[in-house]
Amino acid sequence: MFRFLRRRIYTSLVPLLVVLIGVFFLARLTGDPTSLYLPESATQAQREAFRATNGFDQPILTQLFDYFKGVVHLDFGDSLRTGEAASTMALRAFPATLQLAFATMFLAILGAVIIGCWAAYRPNSLADRISSLLSMTAASIPDFWFAIMGVYVFAILFGWLPTSGVDSGMLSWILPIATLLIRPLGVLTQVVRGAMVSALSAPYVRLARSKGAGDLRVVTHHALRNAAAPALTVAGDLMVGLVNGAVVVEAIFGWPGIGKLMIDAILQRDFAVLQAAVLLTAVSIFILNIVIDACYALLDARVRDKAKV
Amino acid sequence: MSPARAVQQGRTRHTALGRSAGSTPATILAGALAFSMVASGCTVANSNRGSAASPDTLRIVLQEEPPTLEACDVSLTSVGVVTRSNITEPLMERNPSTGDLEPLLADSWEQTSDTEWTIKLHPSVTFSDGTPFEAADAAHSIERTVNSDLACNVEGYVFGDADLDVEVIDPLTLTVASPEPDPILPLRVSFVEMVPRTTPLTERVRQPIGTGPYAIDYWDAGQRLSLVRNETYWGPKPDYARADYQWRSEGSVRASMVTNGEAEIAVGLGPEDGAGDLGVAYPNNETTAVRIQLEEPPLDDIRVRQAINYSVNREGIVKALFRGLGTPAEQLISEGVIGFNENLEPWPYDPEKAQQLIDEARADGVPVDTEIRMIGRTGQFPKVNETLEVIQNALSELGMNVSIEMTDSAGTAEYQERPFPKVGPYLLIIQHGNQAGDAAFTADQYLKSEGFQSAGGTPEFDERVNEAGTKTGEDRQEAYAQLFADEPNEVMQMAFIAHMNGVLAKADSVDYTPNSATVDEMHLKAMTRADTTETD
Repeated sequence: MFRFLRRRIYTSLVPLLVVLIGVFFLARLTGDPTSLYLPESATQAQREAFRATNGFDQPILTQLFDYFKGVVHLDFGDSLRTGEAASTMALRAFPATLQLAFATMFLAILGAVIIGCWAAYRPNSLADRISSLLSMTAASIPDFWFAIMGVYVFAILFGWLPTSGVDSGMLSWILPIATLLIRPLGVLTQVVRGAMVSALSAPYVRLARSKGAGDLRVVTHHALRNAAAPALTVAGDLMVGLVNGAVVVEAIFGWPGIGKLMIDAILQRDFAVLQAAVLLTAVSIFILNIVIDACYALLDARVRDKAKV
Repeated sequence: MSPARAVQQGRTRHTALGRSAGSTPATILAGALAFSMVASGCTVANSNRGSAASPDTLRIVLQEEPPTLEACDVSLTSVGVVTRSNITEPLMERNPSTGDLEPLLADSWEQTSDTEWTIKLHPSVTFSDGTPFEAADAAHSIERTVNSDLACNVEGYVFGDADLDVEVIDPLTLTVASPEPDPILPLRVSFVEMVPRTTPLTERVRQPIGTGPYAIDYWDAGQRLSLVRNETYWGPKPDYARADYQWRSEGSVRASMVTNGEAEIAVGLGPEDGAGDLGVAYPNNETTAVRIQLEEPPLDDIRVRQAINYSVNREGIVKALFRGLGTPAEQLISEGVIGFNENLEPWPYDPEKAQQLIDEARADGVPVDTEIRMIGRTGQFPKVNETLEVIQNALSELGMNVSIEMTDSAGTAEYQERPFPKVGPYLLIIQHGNQAGDAAFTADQYLKSEGFQSAGGTPEFDERVNEAGTKTGEDRQEAYAQLFADEPNEVMQMAFIAHMNGVLAKADSVDYTPNSATVDEMHLKAMTRADTTETD
C-alpha cells in the first residue's frame, strides 16, 4: 500500500511541476506589470528600479530558479498589489473555495443517489426524465449563463435571493451552489442510474428478492453498495473540477475564494499571488487525487497490483 | 482520470458483486464538511465581517477594487473615485458644473510673481488622526507627489517633468513656484491630496490618512472596503456614518444589487444592465475615438486616415449601440473644458467619399490591403466589442483588411503609451476624459508629436500647442479651440466616435446628482438620505 502511494506521489509530481512552470511562463506572457504599477510618466530609471526590486530584470530562467528556490523555503513572494505575502493571501482565500466545492459535491451526491436510484428502479418515470434533463442541461449550459440567469430570475424578478456577496447567511450560498451543482448533479445522476440499472438486474439482487427483501432494502443494502464505486470514481474527478473551476462563479458572485483571487491576480499582473494560488490549487488537487486512489487501492488489491506493473 | 481509477471504473461496469463500502470516504468527508459549514452558521471562510446594511451606511458597488488608496495616485480613476475628497482632500477643488476653482483646504491663493503663487490655508483643520493640518503638511504633500521618486500617477498626469519649489512661510501660508510661468498652476495643485508630514517620501502608502470627511475603517482585500465618518471633520458633517464599498465585475450584477436593495449606488453601468428606473445617465466627460497610428503604411497616408473617418457612422453607433446615451464626437474634449470648440461638427459619415479616397490611395501605390489590427480593451465602455465590429465592417467594405483584438487594460497599455511597439499598422480604441477642465491636459498628451499618448504630429503644430499653454483667459480658450479645429486637417490622428454618458444606479433612499466628475471622484458628502434636505 505504501509502495503504491509512494509511486502515485512520484508520478503526480511531474504534472504538478509542469503546471507550476507553465503558470510561471504564461503569467509573464500576459505583459509587463510595470505599465500597470507605474504611471505613464515614470522615467526609464523608475521603471528599471521597479523591475530590479521585483526581480523582473533577471533572465527568465533565473527568475524561474529563484521562484523554485523560494518555494522550497516556503517563500512564495509578496503581492505587488497589497505587499502582503502571496501565500497568506492564497491560504486565506482557499477555505472559501473548499466550502463551496464540498457543499456542492455533498448535494450532488445526495441528489444523484436519490434521483439515480429512483430513475433506475422506475424506468421512464418522472425521475428518469429529470435525470435526462439534468444530464442534457449539464452538458449544454455554460456556468456563467446559468449564473446570470439565476441572478435575473431569483434575485431580480422574484427578489428571493441576494444577487451576490456572502453577507446574507444561508441565502448567499444558494445561487453559487446551484450554478456549480448542475454539472456534477447531471453527470453523477447518469452514472448512478446506469450503475443501478446493472446492479438491479444482477443475480445477487434476484437472490435477495427471493429471500424476501423489500424494494427499499434491495436498493439501499444490495444494489446501491455496488453501484457506488463508479459514482465515486466520477465524483472524485468532478470534485477536482469544482475546486479548479469555481473561477467564473466566484468572480460573478463575489465569493472570496481562490478562483476570484486568481482572476484578480491575472488582471493585476500580480504574478506571485497567481503562482501561489495555482500552486495551492494544484497541490490540493494532487492530494485529492491521491486520497481517491488510495481509497481504491484499499478497496481492491487488483488496483494496487496494476499500479505496481 | 488516473490509471488506477480507470481500471476500477472499467472493472465495476462488469462486476456484479464487489465489496464496496466504496464511496464512504469521500461521501463522509463531503458530508462532514458540508455539515461543518452549516454548523458554522453558513459563514463563508475569509469573510470576516458581515453586511453593514443599516440606514446609517451607504453601500456602493464599483467595477473593480482600487489597487491602492495612495493619495498621490488619485488621478487613476479606480483610486480617485474612493480616495479623493472622501479620505484625503486637496487645497482647492474644481467645480465640475461651473468650471471654477473653489477653496477647500486653502482659503485663498494669489499670484505673487510670474512663476510663484502664495496660498493661505484654512485654519483649524485636522487630519483624521487628530494632528493639525498646517503649511508644512501641504508642502510635504506637494514635495511627495510632484518632486519625489515615487512616480506618482498625479505627477505624470498633471505635472510632467517639472518640479515645483515649495516654501513654508508660516503655519497657514506657503508659496509654490513653477520653473516656467504656468497660468494654471493652482488647477494643477488641486490634484495634490494632502497627507500628514509623517507620510513617507520614499514609500507608497496603501491606506492614507487625510483631512477628509471619512477615514478608512477596514479594508478586507478582495472583498470590502469600509470608511467611517471622521467625527473631527472640519466641514459640514456628512449624512452617512459609514460607507461600504464592494466590487463586482458584471454590470448586470452591479445593477441588480441596487434594484434588489443590496446597495445604494452602483457605477459603471451600461444601458442594458437592468437598472431600470433607478438608472441615472449623466455626461461623464469621456470621449471615445479610434486613434490612428501615423507611422506605418497604409495609415501614414492622410487619405487613408480620412477614409477611416468618413467610414465611422457615429450617429448610428450612438443611436443603436449606446441607445442614445451620448453624442457623436467632433473633438477629444467635452463641453465645459476650457478650449472646447463649440462650432465644430462631427466628421461626416460618407462611405462613398471614403471609397473614393481609398481607391485614389491604392492607385498611387499605397498598400491599402495591408492587415491592420484594431485593438480594444474589454469593458472599456458598454458595447465596446460591438463598436469595434461596426467599424471593422465599415472598413472591410472599403476593401481594407482589419482584424479585431480585444485585451485587458494592461494589454492595451503598451499600445497606448510611448514608446509604441513596432508591430505594424494598428488602430487603437481610446477613451479620454479631461477631468481637470483645461485643454492643456489633453493637448500635451494627445496632440503634440511626442505626446505620451499621441500617435504623431508636426513641429509646427507642437509649437502652437506650446503657445496655447502660455495664454490665459479668452485667449487661451480661443487658441485651444482653434487647435481642435485644425488638427483633423493638418494631422488627423483620430476618428472620434462619441462623447459618452455614464450610467449609475441609485436607490430611491439616496439623494445624489452625478456630474461630469463623478466617474473619477464620487464625493460621499454629496450623498444624502432622500428624506432629508441637508446637502453639502
